[in-house]
Amino acid sequence: MKKNKTLLLVNSKSIVDKLKEESSITFLFPVKGFCVGFENLYDISEISIDSYIFVNRILDNAGIEKFREFIKNIPNNIKGIVFDDIGVLNVLIKENIPITKILFLNHMNCNYESINAYLEYVDSAVISPDITIDEIKEILAYATKPVVLYTFGHMNIMYSRRTLLTNYNKHFNSDVGKLAALEEEMQKTKFKIIENEHGSVIYTNEPFNGLVLRKEDNVLFNLINGVFLSDEEIINIINSENNLENLYPYKYLSEKKTIFKLKGEE
Amino acid sequence: MIELLAPAGNLERLKIAYLYGADACYIGGYNYSLRANAINFSDKELKEACLFAHNLNKKLYVTVNIVLHNSDLNGLKEYLIELENIGVDAVIVSDIAVIKCIKDNNIDLEVHLSTQSSTLNYEAALFYKELGVKRIVLARESSREDIKCIKDKTGLDLECFIQGAMCTSISGKCVLSNVTTNRDSNRGGCAQICRWTFKIDDKEEIFSMTPKDLNMSIYLKDMMDIGVNSFKVEGRMRSVYYIATVISEYRKLFDKIKSNTLTEADILYSNDIINRCANRESVPQFYDKFPTHEEQYYLGREEVSNQDFLGIVLKNCEDNKILVEQRNYFKIGDVVEIFGPNMEPITYTINKIYNEDFESVDVARHPRMLTYLEVDRIIPEGAMVRLKVFDKNSYL
Repeated sequence: MKKNKTLLLVNSKSIVDKLKEESSITFLFPVKGFCVGFENLYDISEISIDSYIFVNRILDNAGIEKFREFIKNIPNNIKGIVFDDIGVLNVLIKENIPITKILFLNHMNCNYESINAYLEYVDSAVISPDITIDEIKEILAYATKPVVLYTFGHMNIMYSRRTLLTNYNKHFNSDVGKLAALEEEMQKTKFKIIENEHGSVIYTNEPFNGLVLRKEDNVLFNLINGVFLSDEEIINIINSENNLENLYPYKYLSEKKTIFKLKGEE
Repeated sequence: MIELLAPAGNLERLKIAYLYGADACYIGGYNYSLRANAINFSDKELKEACLFAHNLNKKLYVTVNIVLHNSDLNGLKEYLIELENIGVDAVIVSDIAVIKCIKDNNIDLEVHLSTQSSTLNYEAALFYKELGVKRIVLARESSREDIKCIKDKTGLDLECFIQGAMCTSISGKCVLSNVTTNRDSNRGGCAQICRWTFKIDDKEEIFSMTPKDLNMSIYLKDMMDIGVNSFKVEGRMRSVYYIATVISEYRKLFDKIKSNTLTEADILYSNDIINRCANRESVPQFYDKFPTHEEQYYLGREEVSNQDFLGIVLKNCEDNKILVEQRNYFKIGDVVEIFGPNMEPITYTINKIYNEDFESVDVARHPRMLTYLEVDRIIPEGAMVRLKVFDKNSYL
């Protein structure tokens, strides 16, 4: 079976030792100070192999200046960056940083015109995983450069700048940790929530299985998010020849179009 | 330029917003707008709205702020050209596809970047400025320092929210609604899951993430001083009564700042009026501090509805009477306030009520019942009658 290259968003560093000989895998490290929604974050000095870095915070002015200093001193083994904030893009352009730039504007970039507009400024972009497989395929057909497809992993479905768990603990004098399980009371949908000093992220409880996307053309990377997954699970997912639908049946938003009008209008 | 910017979900609310003191309104058409379930405006109504605004020398902005899917691209260009032809003063957009469409087709529309684009730093603002964006609606998470820095380093027009509901999420960074209800939050279908309640781990106390509403009344002067141009009220789904109340209170505060006569009592009084009308507590959020548990609710929807809005004045009649369309039950003996465009609220005890046939009645109990009340002065059309709850004198 044809497989594209994998971009693996690293949760536990132990996975790197287990997979570092695999030439088709590029490691993506969430870096300290510039990420939300991770159990483990990495200092740039801890990353010794050729890798990409992940920056998903929406940065305020102080944050963007810190990022400027950080990226100007980036070591040679950092070959690329995946980022969410458009301010980061502007800094990368201004400072002429010679690494691969991949825009992951989470929840945006749901159409080919947007993707192509941003591709004029970056090397690649992540197609929003919030759309259907058919919509993704249509974007792939029109994209002017190879793009990145979110292919497997728990989905970041809400990013708040508030420290929601700390606030809960303060209000109730409680002791919930930095990672917790949520269940909404009406439909009993489950989520995971994780917090650091920069904010809180809610994830889907189940990992999205988009392994079917591994065979698409015009793809720079298939992105696998290792957060909440064990090393064994990740290795199994990467090495599998089939799409593991029995093990991981959750298809997120990829099969059913969302609705947005409840009344009949025009 | 300083502007009070009001939401309007339909033509009636738009007219009320302008009459009660808004300098500009933002509205949505039937498509491409993030409040897909507001009544919104047909093309014909967009034209009427634009004419109404421009006749008053006021501005009208149209939201084209959904995150577009491929199928939404069909008809986008034609819609934008239609808005250009109508003569709207700007479009509010979040998707770069819309900006590109305007640019590539030389469509003469001013572009304001929606808060959905989560702009929180000046480098992001400069990127969009290069694309031709004239104004940024900043993320609601912006602090005073962030706003000032972005203004100083970009010179762009800045628009900031001053009143209304807050998303828990950074705007645009949430698809809880999509996942939970299949309703697309970034195309106008948000089911507001962040206002639901949750069980967390094995704890007994329910988890809630609902923020209190935003209220920036105490910082208006400071915001003007650091360069905010447009002061935005949230709420295209809100009622005429909400729009009239909130806009008239902010108009008064703005005018008092301008004439250097604003007092703490004015702010406290206005806040009480606004909070009661909104049925929710409102506070500053990220402007002056990092919000904590104090800026959230923990018991689900802590909203207490009331029936304060008693009626709307349709016209002045002979014999010192006003024709009032009833909106909530009122009766002889009720102490009410009449407030309206360009008038100070007046306190008034209802001593007589007449029905449509000029027969004296004790109560107005039927929804939208037409009644006549006796008054001792001219009351402008569009004025509203509310139960008197707060006495301004007690704040002095």
